[in-house]
Amino acid sequence: MNRTRNILLPSIAAAAAMLLPAPAPAADYHHVHLTTSNATEAIGWYSRYLDCEPLADRDDGVECGGAQVVFDSRPTLGSSQRTGIDHISFSYPDLTAKMGELEAVGVRGSGVRLQRFQDGSTLRDVPGLFKHGFIFDPWGTRIELVEDSATLGFHHIHLSAADPAATLAWYQERFGGESARLRGRIDGLRLGDVWLLAMQADGEPAATAGRSIDHIAFAVPEMDAAAGDLRSSGVAFLSEPAVPDGGRTGARRAFVGGPDNVSLALVEEGFAGVDAEFDAPVDITTELQPYTVPRTPWGAPDFQGVWTGDAAHGIPLQRPEDLAEVEVLTSEQAAARRERGTLGSIWGYESEWRDTTLGYVRSAPSRQVAMVVDPPDGRLPARTPEGERLLAAARAARRPIAEGPEDLSSWVRCITRSLVPTPGVYNNGLQIVQGPNHVALQREMIHETRVVPTDDSPHVGDAITSWLGDARGRWEGDTLVVEIRNFNGRAPYQGSSDALTLTERYTRTGPDTLEYRFTIDDPKVWTRPWTGMFTFVRDETQYELVEYACHEGNYGMTNILSGARARDAEESGAGR
Amino acid sequence: MTKWKSARAGAMLTVFLLAAGSAAAQTEVPRAFDGNPDLNGVWQAIGTAHWDIEDHPAAAGPPDMGAIGAIPPGQGVVVGGGIPYRADALAQKQQNFENRWTDDPELKCFMPGVPRATYLPYPFRILQGDRKIMFIYGFAEANRTVHMDKENPEPPPLDTWMGRSHGRWEGDTLVVDAQGFNGEAWFDRAGNYAGSGLRVVERYTPMGPNAILYEATIEDPAVFTRPWTIEMPLYRRLEANARVLEYKCVEFSEDLIYGHLRRVPTR
Repeated sequence: MNRTRNILLPSIAAAAAMLLPAPAPAADYHHVHLTTSNATEAIGWYSRYLDCEPLADRDDGVECGGAQVVFDSRPTLGSSQRTGIDHISFSYPDLTAKMGELEAVGVRGSGVRLQRFQDGSTLRDVPGLFKHGFIFDPWGTRIELVEDSATLGFHHIHLSAADPAATLAWYQERFGGESARLRGRIDGLRLGDVWLLAMQADGEPAATAGRSIDHIAFAVPEMDAAAGDLRSSGVAFLSEPAVPDGGRTGARRAFVGGPDNVSLALVEEGFAGVDAEFDAPVDITTELQPYTVPRTPWGAPDFQGVWTGDAAHGIPLQRPEDLAEVEVLTSEQAAARRERGTLGSIWGYESEWRDTTLGYVRSAPSRQVAMVVDPPDGRLPARTPEGERLLAAARAARRPIAEGPEDLSSWVRCITRSLVPTPGVYNNGLQIVQGPNHVALQREMIHETRVVPTDDSPHVGDAITSWLGDARGRWEGDTLVVEIRNFNGRAPYQGSSDALTLTERYTRTGPDTLEYRFTIDDPKVWTRPWTGMFTFVRDETQYELVEYACHEGNYGMTNILSGARARDAEESGAGR
Repeated sequence: MTKWKSARAGAMLTVFLLAAGSAAAQTEVPRAFDGNPDLNGVWQAIGTAHWDIEDHPAAAGPPDMGAIGAIPPGQGVVVGGGIPYRADALAQKQQNFENRWTDDPELKCFMPGVPRATYLPYPFRILQGDRKIMFIYGFAEANRTVHMDKENPEPPPLDTWMGRSHGRWEGDTLVVDAQGFNGEAWFDRAGNYAGSGLRVVERYTPMGPNAILYEATIEDPAVFTRPWTIEMPLYRRLEANARVLEYKCVEFSEDLIYGHLRRVPTR
């Protein structure tokens, strides 16, 4: 794990920074570092739902009952559960009321995800211990809520360990703290007001780095001495003590590997985090520099890797009327546009899902005004009379209440989702794999894979129509040109027909940017061809395509059709 | 990063030496840019393993399908014959068999899993590059990316229908270690199955330019008493312009899955 790079990613991670008084043997507990998708959102969430307060002196954290939680924005690699730091915990004087409040807000609109016990309850009273329950934050951090009047506010960090006793001993030996039993029952380590607990792991815990609880940090009074001690006790350094790039103060930081694949940070006094703005994300709108496209071993331009359209999400297809004279948006306008396109539509999705997709990783929102670049006014050309007729017919055929699956869109049915891979709120990944004479373009959405022959093999016969069409490719210089036809016309793009020829042009414009142009030539529908453009950004450090088994888990279809039948029943009842 | 580079350099060196050693022995096997066998192309299994990977006699097929749906007899592909199920797992297999015309994930156009994707009666493409090898199957748009360039994470990050595949070359054999399955897929239309503890180690060995010996060793301690192996040849599709055509079967499964929710129910 390249720790330095990870930290430099535009941050959507949350760092929980606990600045505690100093009963310091070797080190003080300093903070837990969480990962969220956006520090501002995370501050709002922890303030609204867990009663934390925004920090006065920095814009990336909150204080929760005497302890700080600091947020560092970057996409997470998933929930904290089953990593070496399974969860963190907050204590409330009346947990029944707190849990009732959280249950009432619901996941939609709040991102509060309750983890229910097997009997369906969210709260359990453990005799001799206290009431407790579990929730997840929207970014995948598992949070235990407890009712422990002895310690209110931030309560404990729960490690998951192959050998819990040995793990606690490891921490005590290196960072001090006092062995104690929580309520006389659970072995732990007392670090100031915070408990460090360790549960028995089921197998080897997963690494914390990159997950929603990324690491725990300890403040050390003297970095060189502390580092020396750790080194002599055999602790592996993931990164050496240094002032991090973008550090807000001159304080140094180091990362070491703890037991159970836990990442630990050591920070010097005065450490105040890393300025997220320091890391300049890829701005796909900046002027292109000359770039030599790398070659595959067999001599083709090499486009392989995992790319995402996240940066382009929010670019409208057509140029808005009020931006007729605008060349590019400002960064602020672009950020606001992307937020408009995502917030509101994303809350309520599973946090891990939203994280990895809304991470929007290393890509600044595109400042491109519109996708359509030809016609030059950025507007679609006029439709033919037949095109208008097809559009009207499609609108007229829509049934407000679906009689069966066929009345729902190919999107809802998990058949296909947009002929042109214009980015949406999630699953904007594009994996490219090349072999001699073939390029595979795999879209994350629906796991659709187009295999494009780049030799001179002919198209299949005209009668073989399909949803995605028949693709043939060729190299024009360093550009991959893909011509696609034989569409069945049943998944129209902007009202396209079965007469469509879609021509895609992929050009690698930099190490991390892939320009994508699509030309829609459908003489049945439009009076002239038109072309749109946006840019994919490469993101191999954080992004890997995950199998999107859409149809296999399509509860949405069952729910929509069940709802439609319930509506039918209501209406026939009302009509009587 | 440095670690990755050095590991990669080591791997390439190994490949070069092995390739040099074996080139003389099997000159007819097409070679890729790096000296490894070139598996690029469209392949297909021939046989009846998709009906039943074990020996089976001819039998009636789904109701109302007549001879088109009838099951031809076939010789099994399990090495040594017989799948070593645990007792309770065998009962589950038999229950799957009883319910095969409603429960088989293939009926529902669900992704077929591994190894079933290999010997469904559809062609599949192997796209062999320098970092990944992709398998693009002809059913349910299933595909796999075999990582030749990444360390195999244990345990696999999450469970999926097609699993997570990491590959390496052992001489002229492509060895693919596939794990991280969700336990939902079956092996055939006879209800043979494994659970989410499934691990499939596949070996693809060229038998000449137009055939590959496919061997898959299957283990899942919760279901089988020991690892077992299937093997069969895969044949190159030699037709001019042979393609794996798009076959989106979702709409053909919708009546089966949602027919009872139509305004006029069909099921």
